[in-house]
Amino acid sequence: MISVLAIGLVLATSLVIGIYGVRAARSTSDFLVASRRVSPNWNALAIAGEYLSAASVLGLSGLLLKNGLGTMWYAVGFCAGYVAVVALVAGPMRRSGAFTVPDFAEYRLGAPRLRKLCGCIVLVIMLLYLVPQFKGAGVVLALVSGTPYWVGVVLAGMVVSGSIAAGGMRSATYVQAFHYMVKLLFIAIPAVYLVAHAGADLRAQALHPEWGTHFAQTTPVEFTVDTTFGLDDPVTVTAPDGGRVDLAAGDHTVSEGTRYVFPAGAAVPHPEGLPDLGGERWSTPLLNSGGYPLFETWSTILAITLGCMGLPHVIMRFHTSPSARIARRVAVGVIALLGLFYLFPVVYGLLGRVLTPQLVLLQGTDTVAVVLPAQAVPGAAGTILTALVAAGAFGAFLSTSSGLLLALAGGLSHDLFQGSVPRLRLAVAVGACVAVLLALPAEKVDINVLVVWAFTVAASTFCPLLVLGIWWRGLTLPGAAAGLTVGAVTATGAVGWSLLLPTPQGWTTVLLAQPAAWTIPLAFATMAAVSWLTRPPDWAEHAVLRLHSP
Amino acid sequence: MRQVHALGVDLRDGLHGRSVPAAAKRLRRLLGAEGVVLADLDGPVAGHGRHLEPEEVDSLLSQVFEYGSNVRTRLRDGTTVCAVPLNVAEEISGALLACGDPVEADVEAAAALVADSLDHAALRRARARIAAADLRTLRAQISPHFVHNALAVIAALVRTDPDRARHLLSDFADYLRYGFSEKGDYATVADELEAVQTYLELQRARFHDRLDITVRMAPEVLPVAIPFLVVQPIVENAIRHGLERKEGRGHISVSGFGEGPLCVIEIEDDGVGMHPDLARSLLAGTGPESRSIGLANVDQRLRAVYGPEYGLVIETALGEGTKVTVRVPRFTRGVVAQ
Repeated sequence: MISVLAIGLVLATSLVIGIYGVRAARSTSDFLVASRRVSPNWNALAIAGEYLSAASVLGLSGLLLKNGLGTMWYAVGFCAGYVAVVALVAGPMRRSGAFTVPDFAEYRLGAPRLRKLCGCIVLVIMLLYLVPQFKGAGVVLALVSGTPYWVGVVLAGMVVSGSIAAGGMRSATYVQAFHYMVKLLFIAIPAVYLVAHAGADLRAQALHPEWGTHFAQTTPVEFTVDTTFGLDDPVTVTAPDGGRVDLAAGDHTVSEGTRYVFPAGAAVPHPEGLPDLGGERWSTPLLNSGGYPLFETWSTILAITLGCMGLPHVIMRFHTSPSARIARRVAVGVIALLGLFYLFPVVYGLLGRVLTPQLVLLQGTDTVAVVLPAQAVPGAAGTILTALVAAGAFGAFLSTSSGLLLALAGGLSHDLFQGSVPRLRLAVAVGACVAVLLALPAEKVDINVLVVWAFTVAASTFCPLLVLGIWWRGLTLPGAAAGLTVGAVTATGAVGWSLLLPTPQGWTTVLLAQPAAWTIPLAFATMAAVSWLTRPPDWAEHAVLRLHSP
Repeated sequence: MRQVHALGVDLRDGLHGRSVPAAAKRLRRLLGAEGVVLADLDGPVAGHGRHLEPEEVDSLLSQVFEYGSNVRTRLRDGTTVCAVPLNVAEEISGALLACGDPVEADVEAAAALVADSLDHAALRRARARIAAADLRTLRAQISPHFVHNALAVIAALVRTDPDRARHLLSDFADYLRYGFSEKGDYATVADELEAVQTYLELQRARFHDRLDITVRMAPEVLPVAIPFLVVQPIVENAIRHGLERKEGRGHISVSGFGEGPLCVIEIEDDGVGMHPDLARSLLAGTGPESRSIGLANVDQRLRAVYGPEYGLVIETALGEGTKVTVRVPRFTRGVVAQ
């Protein structure tokens, strides 16, 4: 209940800031104060606030618990993305005056039809990014209010589109900056408290868990999907009717809806295909889901780092900076703020290994940050900590998905259809509906898998467009169109295939699941090759020059 | 029919456009000739099919241009060449050559077609020039009325409040510099706000501080480029026609925020308002002479730059105040603040 209140409070505060946050100047001497541009610090806070999504707040600690230490490469990629942005696009993008990637495409290549193509890709990326946000919100809302998952998702959709319609993003900069602080504080305070409260033994255990790890207390486990797990030692569990079930060592398959209560001290069963929580594979700092850890790690880092610069809602925030130099300074500030934030998901992942190992069995690791505090600290303190984390997670959902929805609606109404204002509102509603519908069947897909999918598509389409468009005057319209098409089709198709259809074994699996390492070079190569065959227009030189002259 | 239409499209930029060779090819196919050459007064610009010797073309062209009529000769190898002048706006501006025994009447008809297309191209260019000239004249006429009032206010304050008078004078100087500046057609929202600020400062002095002002600007929209002097005329209109006639205190608010890809600026006053029909006629440019410049001018310029769907929106009623909304895309190709 407290959690629901905390979430409501975050929502109400951000609405108030969003609508009335812009300071009103009452006299003309205040006028200049009002019209002073956003300071780089506020801007950096706002960008970091918009960027830290459910993937960072919930997904990262969940994936850490599930897949092991290699997951921290995600955090590295999320930060390193801004290094790429500072080095390659922030300044020139600001000088072009372009607000979105489709704007930039039109500025650089001067073709309305390319704008439409970019608008379609924006749509794909934004939807892929929105679905995990709604999933995260649905999971958190379901967890704290006890409603079914779908109610949480639908509620989240209504909340975010309602807050945009009410004008909650009018002063987006201040809302997003507020959300960064909410996220940081509401994740950091419980994390620090948990670490302090855990005591030396538990801390040591979290870092060096015994082989397989054990349930710390009597733990009920309800399997919501059919699961296969292995046991090292025989264990006697209690069924809901009070009967005792002896499980022998070896593999077991349980059907959906089964409930077992594991006694304290029992070894945690390890689900098929995942690393043991205390095992060697868990602590190896590489991503390893298909047997090719080095390729998978590199591919993921590439996707996230380069994908960051192609994310439409990230790029458009640099437009706010008054000059290219300040745009770069802002990006550096963002890196510092993100680096600070990513210290905390690790805490939840590591403690979760000891305190909430059953989440791995349940395929619900995305909730670890919300479940953990109550497990670790019983009583009122635990409830309050849970409320804090839930509110922080909801803030993450709210800020990112409002930004994404607005970018999506902008693309829909401005790039694809010559839009007026009612159309923009309609587009927000339509975008939210589609995202909710897609999020409903996504309950068991990890947040970060979907987010990395969005990053992969961005890295294989807009990253080549921006990098070549800014740094190479030879880029031509057919080249850009060909590269965008190839990148979008391969990246979307490969990940989609690996998620939805059965994949062949061996190398192909990892090539399809983490395609960035081949789709990005392919998109770059296509763009460059087709551009070589065609002639750039005469004004291309001038357009590129203006991107670089101070 | 389609060929004729396509010919017109090929020639839409005149004889020096990019598609002139395509036009020559099309003409040769239409005439069933062996070769076709299009020439302007300086010589051939494009040809297709059989190659003609430059000397022969030159001599033919000089005959056509000298007599202004059709010329028909035989080349050394016996093929017939027919050269017809292109008369655009009763003036010769080029010629069409066709070789390989074409029917002379056909060539003449083709030449008339080409001349029409060239005429259209010239008209199109003229229209664009007129639009640009209109924009320049429409842009920012600082009203003599305002200059007079401002100077009168400052003069009145010189003895009683010399400090304020000095401030106002420097505001006035800033305002004039902004209004007269020739820097370009676009300014940032922040620059526009500064101009509005100096203007309002002067008006407040004249209203003896009877004027309340609220400004609410989301920082995101400050760097957005908008056409020069768009906000100021609306504010001026609100004061002159909304607040000046109102008894007691008046309030004017300027607010701006981003709405997805759009930048929205609202100027709202609680003055006397106007009849909605009057507002409609003001935007249509058919309102009373004395107030027709400001709003219609801004509206026209916004439409010219961003397209017909981005004009001004006025919400008003008698006695209810007025709210004018400017809604423009944050980025439009070619719109860059200097």
